[in-house]
Amino acid sequence: MPDSIDYSRKPVLILGASGFIGSRVAAALERSPIYRPVAASRRSAISVDATDMQSVLRALRDVDCVVNCVAGKDDAMVRAAQVLCDAARSTPPRRIVHLSSMAVYGAATGSVTEDHGPVEPVSLYGRAKIACEGIVGRYVRDGGDAVILRPSCVFGPGSTQWTTRLIRLLRAGRLGDLGAGGDGGCNLAFIDDVVGAIVAALDAPDVSGRTFNISSSADLTWNQFLMAFSKALGATPIRRIPGRTLRIETRILAPFRRVAAKAVKAGWTEAITPSLAALFRQDIRIDSGAAQSALWLHRTPPEQMIAAVLRDNRTKQELAAV
Amino acid sequence: MIQSADDIVRGSVVHADICIVGGGPAGIVLALELSRTGRSILLLESGGEAPTEQARALNIGEVAEGSLHSPPDTYRQRVLGGGTSIWGGRCVPFDPIDFEARPWIDHSGWPIGYDEVERHYAAANAWCEAGEYEYDARLAAPNGMRALLRGFSPRHFDTNGIERFSCPTDFGSRYRNRLRSAPNLRVLLSATATRLRAARDGSRIDALDVCNGRDAAFSVVAGQFVLAMGGMETPRLLLTSDDVHAGGIGNANDLVGRFYMCHVAGTIGSLRVNGAADTVWHGYDLAADGTYCRRRIAPRPATQAAMGLSNAVFRLHHPRIADPAHGTGPLSAIFLAQRFISYEYAKRLVSDAPPSAKTWLRHGMNAAIDSPSTARFLLHWVKARILADRKFPSIIVRPRTNLFSLDFHTEQAPNPDSRIGLGSSLDRFGNRQLRVDWRYCRQDVDTVAQSFDLLGQELADQAIGQLTLAAGERDIETVVRRDGAYGGHHIGTARMGATARSGVVDRNGKVFGVNNLHIAGSAVFPTSSQANPTLTIVAMAVRLAEHLSERVTRVPSIRESVN
Ligand SMILES: Cc1cc2nc3c(=O)[nH]c(=O)nc-3n(C[C@H](O)[C@H](O)[C@H](O)COP(=O)(O)OP(=O)(O)OC[C@H]3O[C@@H](n4cnc5c(N)ncnc54)[C@H](O)[C@@H]3O)c2cc1C
Repeated sequence: MPDSIDYSRKPVLILGASGFIGSRVAAALERSPIYRPVAASRRSAISVDATDMQSVLRALRDVDCVVNCVAGKDDAMVRAAQVLCDAARSTPPRRIVHLSSMAVYGAATGSVTEDHGPVEPVSLYGRAKIACEGIVGRYVRDGGDAVILRPSCVFGPGSTQWTTRLIRLLRAGRLGDLGAGGDGGCNLAFIDDVVGAIVAALDAPDVSGRTFNISSSADLTWNQFLMAFSKALGATPIRRIPGRTLRIETRILAPFRRVAAKAVKAGWTEAITPSLAALFRQDIRIDSGAAQSALWLHRTPPEQMIAAVLRDNRTKQELAAV
Repeated sequence: MIQSADDIVRGSVVHADICIVGGGPAGIVLALELSRTGRSILLLESGGEAPTEQARALNIGEVAEGSLHSPPDTYRQRVLGGGTSIWGGRCVPFDPIDFEARPWIDHSGWPIGYDEVERHYAAANAWCEAGEYEYDARLAAPNGMRALLRGFSPRHFDTNGIERFSCPTDFGSRYRNRLRSAPNLRVLLSATATRLRAARDGSRIDALDVCNGRDAAFSVVAGQFVLAMGGMETPRLLLTSDDVHAGGIGNANDLVGRFYMCHVAGTIGSLRVNGAADTVWHGYDLAADGTYCRRRIAPRPATQAAMGLSNAVFRLHHPRIADPAHGTGPLSAIFLAQRFISYEYAKRLVSDAPPSAKTWLRHGMNAAIDSPSTARFLLHWVKARILADRKFPSIIVRPRTNLFSLDFHTEQAPNPDSRIGLGSSLDRFGNRQLRVDWRYCRQDVDTVAQSFDLLGQELADQAIGQLTLAAGERDIETVVRRDGAYGGHHIGTARMGATARSGVVDRNGKVFGVNNLHIAGSAVFPTSSQANPTLTIVAMAVRLAEHLSERVTRVPSIRESVN
């Protein structure tokens, strides 16, 4: 906690500040000599309901920029984007940095740059993210200043989706060497790299109205990554998972595990959903060249990402649990 | 994308930057590696996605001495994936000594050094799904692998070298999706190359004649051609294409098809180990990456040099299955089930002579009396082999007594008289079929005999056990003849040389005198090593891809035009 608030630092409103990415952005801004976080979520000191117009309008009054990290239910996400852009039309912040996702590309394959359109099937989450981008896009066309970032799978300490979940599945021997099922491109965005890009986007020149892919790994397959991660976790000998077993997981076991997950959060309730299995196969390479030049995106190598996860206390606790 | 050539119109011309002939591991790895360079790649495979009788018939040929070499339509597969659709998956790198010109072995020595291949072994291991490039037993498994024979520290043999096992990965099915989705890559199945068309001055290949499954001929025009058709078909196509180059392409010095090597291999002797059962470990250990690893006994390079031996390796093996005297249920069960084992595997596993009714009966008794271990063995086989994706590599049965035999797998010295040529019968396309005239020489027999004796001596000196030969095995040559040429390894028939006088291809795999023709696969190996060839075939394919991606100039992408 800073002793006093330094009003020479530019206040940045973070919507969704209690989430995984939002909290890391808040922490980074806390250390920044230039910015000062105004961390907003329903639960934080500055309570903002991102889906409530009045609440957002009030929050916008004294801030310089906004970072929109709102996650959650798909419709709530879209609603929050709409509310933010509507509010911003009457109380415009200097810039909105909006977090989207690589999910907007759906089933695209090959090397994917920002101008690539969505390829069916696009998940419900991907559709919601596309809708949000549309809302932000209209705001830009109406003269607003916004930057859209599309991170790939965000990996790092504290990521439940791409880190804790994978740790549990690897240790249970339910993921490992997936053979042809794991030849897909493993596009991981290391959390520190994502946060760095978000902060850079606040003031980067010539980025207004643009969209950027944010990804750290290049030319990595899921098999390579899962095997390296397994080894680092000591989840060895690595199991070869037959395609048949994966199909049983996705088609038969996943629905049961998801129901159970509502009651218990444990290794055995982590589901390997059909969409997760499809991602492991999807031959997609997220090209983050534009962000590397315009946002000085740093790309942490996979071994360093893994090492950072292993150093983290939450991982140590997870590994200590049976 | 993957298509059938049957849809290609007679007389069409298919264009590509690089045309690769043969969709075995060499061709598939080359195609996928090269597809990333942005050039248009065409991969032609004579077979389809599954074996057919029509494709198999194209492999038929003659054998000079049928007792020494299996028929050419066995141990080979005309199908996407080639030999890896039935291979065993044993992966072993070559040794530095294999690349040296050894004064005691005529025609030995490669024009490239070990390190040129070694730097691609990590990639080759990944392609073969044989885990990491770590072949030292002390490092391959967490806390090191178990000792083969506890307390045995031979002076002349290394027991820390290992073999690792692929799944075994069938390159055709494993990489099918990638072949389908790779940019700039077109795979044509059911496309058999029938003749290379050289330019009038012979310096280039202008076109390749191809026939599809409906016998319609079309041609391929490409900037570069690579032959990756295996060690038998590659010399056959070169020899067949004799209209500009008399005697065949690359054959100005009569080297194509000569120096044909397999391995000399078999199972001999019996080793009675002195210690308790737990002093011996002849099975597998698991590496952290999940691959099965196993130790081998290899004569050291200095010993090979001092005694004038070729390279060799021994493995501890269960007693010969065919002889019911082993009294071991699981082994007898395998004997009884031989009808269900494919020719390629039954040949070495089961028996040399048709068994008598009495033999059958004794095996039946073994399986019945030892039924608990037979049942345990079968259960493990179903779980770890049949149902597993990474399969338990081979039959490992603990003999009831501490009695083992030795598997040997030795290098065959290069011999110009051992050769693949053209026979008199014609295939469906009117091309002459293969004729195999495989020969072994004194050096091959001596290598087995002398290294066996030396090993026996060291085992006795260190009081580990007694290694003896059965009455029928004393003359090692009879053992060599009994097991004959090791099937599936076809080596040396378009050897690499420093000059056109000593080789068909240069250090990069390019045919001497022809500017746009390269060869991939074990045909280019000047010597055969103790190692099974595929890992090195793949490493060399990665090396060739690197070379070609620097070499090829851009020409228009794949298109088709009807004359
Ligand atoms: C039973 C068995 C067990 C084996 N076990 C092992 C082992 O444990 N370890 C090991 O290292 N090796 C093993 N091998 C050997 C291994 O299979 C070969 O080394 C490997 O397949 C050779 O690869 P390649 O790509 O050079 O040739 P191939 O696999 O022979 O592929 C050549 C391809 O070219 C195609 N072709 C041929 N002629 C034409 C033409 N005219 N036009 C178009 N296409 C053509 C063929 O259809 C084939 O698909 C084994 C082989 C067998 C048979």
